[in-house]
Amino acid sequence: MASDDSLPTLKLLLIGPSGAGKSALLTRYCDDEFEPDSSTATIGIDFKIKVLNVRGKPYRLTLFDTAGQERFRTLSTSFYRGAHGVLLVYDISTRASFLGMEKWFAEAEANTVEGVALYLVGAKLDKAEHNREVTPEEGRALAEAHGALFCEVSAKSRENVRRPFVEIVDHIVEDPALIHAAKTGRAAGSVTLDSNSEGGYLPNCSC
Amino acid sequence: MESLSDTLWDVVICGTGLQQSLLALALSRSDKKVLHIDPHDYYGGQDAALSLQEAESWVADVEAGKEPSFRSALITKPDGSTGLGFPRAYSLALSPQLIHARSALLEQLVSSRAYRQVEFLAVGSFFIFNPAQDPSQKPTLARIPSTREDVFLTTAIPTKAKRGLMKFLKFVLDYESSPQTDLWQPDAEAPLTEFLSRQFKMDTELQTYIITLSLSLDGKITTKDGLAVIRRHLSSMGMYGPGFAAIYPKWGGLSEIAQISCRAGAVGGAVYMLGTGIKAMKEGEDPIEVELTSGDVIKTRSLVRSGNDATGQIETARLVAVVGSPIKSLFEATAEGAPTPAVAVVAFPAGSLSTPGGKASEYPAYVSVHSSDTGECPNGQSVLYMTTLATSESQEILDQALDSFLGAVGDDQAPQCLYKLQYKRLEGSTQSPAHGSIFDFTIPSTSLSFNDSTLEPVRDAWKMVMGDAAVDAEYMQFTDREGAAEDDDL
Repeated sequence: MASDDSLPTLKLLLIGPSGAGKSALLTRYCDDEFEPDSSTATIGIDFKIKVLNVRGKPYRLTLFDTAGQERFRTLSTSFYRGAHGVLLVYDISTRASFLGMEKWFAEAEANTVEGVALYLVGAKLDKAEHNREVTPEEGRALAEAHGALFCEVSAKSRENVRRPFVEIVDHIVEDPALIHAAKTGRAAGSVTLDSNSEGGYLPNCSC
Repeated sequence: MESLSDTLWDVVICGTGLQQSLLALALSRSDKKVLHIDPHDYYGGQDAALSLQEAESWVADVEAGKEPSFRSALITKPDGSTGLGFPRAYSLALSPQLIHARSALLEQLVSSRAYRQVEFLAVGSFFIFNPAQDPSQKPTLARIPSTREDVFLTTAIPTKAKRGLMKFLKFVLDYESSPQTDLWQPDAEAPLTEFLSRQFKMDTELQTYIITLSLSLDGKITTKDGLAVIRRHLSSMGMYGPGFAAIYPKWGGLSEIAQISCRAGAVGGAVYMLGTGIKAMKEGEDPIEVELTSGDVIKTRSLVRSGNDATGQIETARLVAVVGSPIKSLFEATAEGAPTPAVAVVAFPAGSLSTPGGKASEYPAYVSVHSSDTGECPNGQSVLYMTTLATSESQEILDQALDSFLGAVGDDQAPQCLYKLQYKRLEGSTQSPAHGSIFDFTIPSTSLSFNDSTLEPVRDAWKMVMGDAAVDAEYMQFTDREGAAEDDDL
């Protein structure tokens, strides 16, 4: 089942300006749904889980959306912790969304481990014909400048929707140092709050 | 997207300290319209965890009077010290409290499902500092036996004294029942030390063990309060695993809980703005009109603020020191199957330190030692959080405690101090919080272990915002927000 806790877990983040299409991409990839008129900020989704098989091995992806905290650029440092990969999403039909990406790269690079996998995604490819304001070459050049992968997608037409996820996971699992540095699982000394255990100073009874 | 001014907000919360953030968490499934702002550029307010860069500007803010509950802040880097990492590699906690397993805070984090995003680490042994008997010797740290087996096995306590200790430990777990109450209630307001001496024949050394476990700042905790905190400590022992009673959130203590609570608020639809405070407001109107420092003028049914009342009941002196050694000897697991602790506590009993002028310390000093597992410093270093009650000599006493500590844990050479941040903090103000549709959080008492009384005003503020819709039994009771999806094969 998709929520199998025993699988190796990878944490992926989707960041970028409001309205770039992060949630639409996530919902299309995870649930194969698309709401054409949804223009409201994302409410109620903390993260989504997807099991992805890469090179014959299953991985449990936890995909975190910004929960609207991108609007005034108030993502917390804790949001970035433990991330293996970051997908930076802009809207190819809005030049301003692309121009803001340098800042998003800087924030992602400052708050994640060295060597984190970065993937620049130009969203709303279905608008390419009539409303494109950013060329694929510009996108690719920016991605290369940050050592990031790049593609353009359309959540509406499904074009390329799986590609950024598959490629970023493929890139992550090829890099044992990154897996180690991001330390998905909890550290050896960490404490789990949902299982009580035995032992203690005195038994908790009046013996 | 709706502009801020077009919305009629149910509540504007100003400040992202622990209490304000827990309020956002509590409201995160309420469908209330929440605007959550903070004048700082970072989350956490007085509970923040700071990089070295942030610490520098924080010190400047304190000195400019912009942080009402702090004063006398200063950063120093000892001459000739080398090895400090880059500024972002540090996360210095302004609220490094340990959290006992029996704390209602953990209960609420679990029932609200917010705990999944926090990594908790074990708080290990408590030590007592013993000054060197003569100048040719080193001072030592004596570990307080932390489990029942420990007490049996230790050779540090004579057999007769052990019996008194065991008798006390058994008593305290059930001290609120009759007939045990007859034993302590007459002495309820008297110092715990006197009670321990009279009823359990404990010598000064054993009394010090017990006082240390109580983390009493003045060392003069009353019998009533002392028994309550010792009971909390003992009943917490083993709750989340063998050999430890308290835990600590990785990456900067309460700051982390504030951040994940705000995230939960955002997931529930709250709007977040940092670097934005309240510039002006028109009180007495419904809705309240608030002008933000961003220039936006907004309308809200209620308003929750951070208290700006600097009339704290007590003041503590703090010293945060980064040390160039992992001090491994303090972080050994003491029970089978116990996790490696990331935090150790060292107590300097009253009188065990003295100023350069020869004046003995009037109050105990405590050091919370954090290993790099906390994520607060790079590997190979540690962070010391030192606290004592503020007096005219408290800063000298903390410097002395630092030197003595480094002398006690070093083998041939004392570990090097790389960085020091000192300040004073006012705590426990008593301003009345609620008036009409405005609620002001007071400055909570930041004892060394998280105090559950911090949580009560959060629930009060929640009730104010929820009004008639507040159902006590539903407070902080949420199900997991987790979406599973189909497998994707390549």
